[in-house]
Amino acid sequence: MQRLVPLLRLPSLRRSAPILGLRQSNIHPCPRLFTASCRPAAKNLPPRRVIHDSEIEENFLKGSGPGGQKINKTSSAVQLKHLATGIVVKYQDTRSRSLNRKNARMILGEKLEELEKGEESRVRVKAREKSRKKASSTKKKRRKYRGLEGAKDEVADEEGLEGVEESAGTSESEAKDLAKDGTAGKAGGAG
Amino acid sequence: MPRLPTSLLRKAYAIDSLLPPLLGPCRDLNSARNELRWLREHVDKVSRARYTKGGSSAKGGLLRTLVRKRVSGGKPIGAPLQYGLGTEYFGDLEIEVRPGVLIPRPETAASVTHLTRLVRDARELPTELRILDLCTGTGCIPLLFHDVFYSVRSDVELRFLGVDISSKAIALANRNLQRLRRSKKYVHKGVTEFMLADVLVNPFADRARRPDEPLPLKSALNFNKKRVFWDILVSNPPYISPSAFRTTTARSVRGFEPRLALVPPGEAGRSDTEQGDAFYPMLLVAAIDAEVKIVLLEVADLDQAYRVARMAQGMQVYDGIEIWRDQPDQAHDGSSQPSSEFPIIGQGNGRSVLCWRGPGALWLGKNNGEASNAGPLVQKPYSELDSVSKPEAVHSSLHPESFMQMQGGRRNV
Ligand SMILES: C[S@@+](CC[C@H](N)C(=O)[O-])C[C@H]1O[C@@H](n2cnc3c(N)ncnc32)[C@H](O)[C@@H]1O
Repeated sequence: MQRLVPLLRLPSLRRSAPILGLRQSNIHPCPRLFTASCRPAAKNLPPRRVIHDSEIEENFLKGSGPGGQKINKTSSAVQLKHLATGIVVKYQDTRSRSLNRKNARMILGEKLEELEKGEESRVRVKAREKSRKKASSTKKKRRKYRGLEGAKDEVADEEGLEGVEESAGTSESEAKDLAKDGTAGKAGGAG
Repeated sequence: MPRLPTSLLRKAYAIDSLLPPLLGPCRDLNSARNELRWLREHVDKVSRARYTKGGSSAKGGLLRTLVRKRVSGGKPIGAPLQYGLGTEYFGDLEIEVRPGVLIPRPETAASVTHLTRLVRDARELPTELRILDLCTGTGCIPLLFHDVFYSVRSDVELRFLGVDISSKAIALANRNLQRLRRSKKYVHKGVTEFMLADVLVNPFADRARRPDEPLPLKSALNFNKKRVFWDILVSNPPYISPSAFRTTTARSVRGFEPRLALVPPGEAGRSDTEQGDAFYPMLLVAAIDAEVKIVLLEVADLDQAYRVARMAQGMQVYDGIEIWRDQPDQAHDGSSQPSSEFPIIGQGNGRSVLCWRGPGALWLGKNNGEASNAGPLVQKPYSELDSVSKPEAVHSSLHPESFMQMQGGRRNV
């Protein structure tokens, strides 16, 4: 028997209806096959920042006090701390802890990349590309939206939720798929 | 509980009039907003479904009812949100829950996911891998193992049997299986079954059994013509002692989740601690009977973990025993690691005990079954034990029955 190569899978896309609702239509045309040709728009973007487990400290099950059967909490908040920079990302918008984990990682990845590459980071490159493309009316609308949401969840920045990844080991083609445009970064909406 | 400041309540009310009551069980604004949003999403979904069925879609009333349940539930403290919404996430799976059956916990999902990943990454596995889950509740453990394993690998047939004493649990577990099987992402491989049985009673006890009582595990396996031999045994049994139930168990758990799922039954002459530990000796015997190569047992805390690990050590068949914390996939910080008779893996509270023997070591990615990280355990290599106590199992990884079924063929490890 052979060792399997655990790459090229993105099971989370199909399970993530609650927060990806907005994005579903974007994802639909190419639900399973993640190749660059699927998303030509992503071609020019720098690769996604990969986060290694050793770089971060992850906290989601409180270490103090009893747990397991003795308590039943609804919070599935996930907190990531990047050890080198001290950047902390907290994510708690969905009921699914594993989805919160994925989203937190992605947001952290973008923050780090922006920090490391500045103007050359995906976030900036994408933003520039988009501002070229989008009509100004759309822009206005988005700005207003961002204003509303920003206060609530500063980590869910513009493209915070555009996709989800399985773990730090995102393959390049997956990353390309995730790249896309960044319209849906607002699932942090309040009730 | 301290009273909530009026300013907070006022702020919450300004955002949404339904928020202040939710602050009671949630305690902070962010969690309350999250819960309200989830309740709303749920109500939207329900009313959409009703609407397509031709019914009315009065959302406001339903939402208020759900909030009221969460807040009072007819008792001094509100019912768990998950019973109101009808589901809970377990790993990537959305599992259906119902009053009368324990709501799955994230700690369980973390250990089961970790175990499954270790096994999934093994270079060589039997062509059929059998997983027995005792005290299965919603069936969440086998369903998650199936999900995590098949999301990456498909060269192995997984066979699961989930066992519970509660017919409510068995019905719900079957329902969860059907529900997942209908979902698009389900990989249609392997066999998953659930069975009613009592894992605590000794079949040879001379106590008369009432006709409506579930059969003891061994008799139930025979009676239902299930496999007798298994590869992996997982269990999250009731493990809370009566005193811990009174003192360290959350009120919403005590008030709304079934005691049957949390506190082992008492028996004359049993101490409080012994009662809390009551399932483990029976589970370890079941593991020997089924000749499993890996055992994963959830526990309440580090103290119970040590007691269970010592019980397992006393069985004298395991090549390695270790204790997992809540997050076994996290490297421990090293600072406060006490020197311990058993290796302790991960971060958080002591959460489970892992034992392995024979090929189990390879399936877990342990170096060739060397007892290297089994601490001070002095144990005979599995092969030796084999020749002494199990003359029929020369190929230690073969189930005698499947060996025959396959004419010595493919169960090579
Ligand atoms: C703590 S719950 C665990 C449920 C599920 N495995 C989970 O992790 O969410 C324990 C389960 O054990 C079952 N149980 C209690 N006594 C039992 C017995 N004597 N034999 C078999 N199952 C029992 C309860 O019905 C309950 O579903």
